[in-house]
Amino acid sequence: MKFYDCRTAPSPRRVRIFLAEKGLTIETIQVDLANQENLKPAFLAINPRGVVPTLVLDDGTVLDEAVAVCRYIEETHPNPPLMGTDARSKAIIEARNRHIEQDGFLAVANVLRNTSAALKDRAVQGVTEKVPQIPELAERGRASLRRFFEDLERHFANHPYVAGSTYSIADITALVAVDFSRWIKAGIPPGNVYTERWHAEMSARPSAKA
Amino acid sequence: MKLYDCQIAPSPRRVRIFLAEKGLTMEKIEVDLLGAENLKPEYLKINPRGLVPTLELDDGSRIDEVVAICRYIEALHPNPPLMGTDPKSAALIESRNRHMEIDGFDAAADAFRNSAPAFANRGTQGVPKPVPAIPALAERGMEGLNRFFAGLESWLGENEYIAGPSYTIADITGLIAVDFAGWVKMEIPAGNKNTKRWYDAVSSRPSAKA
Repeated sequence: MKFYDCRTAPSPRRVRIFLAEKGLTIETIQVDLANQENLKPAFLAINPRGVVPTLVLDDGTVLDEAVAVCRYIEETHPNPPLMGTDARSKAIIEARNRHIEQDGFLAVANVLRNTSAALKDRAVQGVTEKVPQIPELAERGRASLRRFFEDLERHFANHPYVAGSTYSIADITALVAVDFSRWIKAGIPPGNVYTERWHAEMSARPSAKA
Repeated sequence: MKLYDCQIAPSPRRVRIFLAEKGLTMEKIEVDLLGAENLKPEYLKINPRGLVPTLELDDGSRIDEVVAICRYIEALHPNPPLMGTDPKSAALIESRNRHMEIDGFDAAADAFRNSAPAFANRGTQGVPKPVPAIPALAERGMEGLNRFFAGLESWLGENEYIAGPSYTIADITGLIAVDFAGWVKMEIPAGNKNTKRWYDAVSSRPSAKA
């Protein structure tokens, strides 16, 4: 198996943390996103979608999408379980994971990709044609992010983890999303003590350094 | 179990088709999305995220997110399998399903929500406060749909279905995305023979009427 990674990007970090939680190491190859290596012919020959993380299996099958890569790892290495153990927990963890992706991760991406000078004309990932930035979408992203942090704080007042009482992939997604929000000078709003407590706990896990 | 549903909306239709493919019937409660019933206090008590579909289990607990609901159903009713039968197929199907969501569904949603007069202040789903539409985002959605159709035609020249040789949840998502694109007058381009072949196959399944 080969894992195509980028140490500075948020999406691959989700897979690195997942692998660390499972106690797994696999051959890892760095892709230089800052210099658009993902959009050049050599990488597009590996994954035509031009995105990381990408996992290439021993039989040559190419997998992308962080959660799909994690699913392969989960199904081949079930312990410790990170994506649920029965119908209900699998569904709840999936739902909460998706909430965090949409409300948090995507909100930050909307701000970053529509304001960063480094991403001018690259507003949509994996697309080689020019996609111009939309400033109003960045504003919308900031409003979404405010709501995201309000929801998180309400949630963590009553639950230790994103999906309830057990650590799961949804906590990994949320940790990465919250850390990603610092790129756009957001971060956990001051005074959100429950979110801060959860974040400190997630950051203290050895996997957070992956 | 009950499904909070909306006959005209694309997302709940994904669950209805999934249930039909499994040969399952379920009590459905219609939510008037056009009339913003989902954003009113009564429905927000059922799902604070203000979204359909929502699945209510027999013990009163609720799950949202189309794919999470489908995963719950798949776990309880594994046949016919729609979400994979081994780690590789489970991951590939998940990845292709997400491609359909990002490339197709989200592009159509961006185009629709930011151009339809009825959604002029409903730019973000599930938010009870006004979120103004962004015309430039509708344009971006339309361009995204062009890329989506090009990608489909290319893939379906080498594969019978969206995730490979078998019909799966990814085909349901693809079908809904193509139909949703029709709402913004984006049809399968004339001459896209592979896509027409696939579309005819999936849309003529009895489940497509669900």
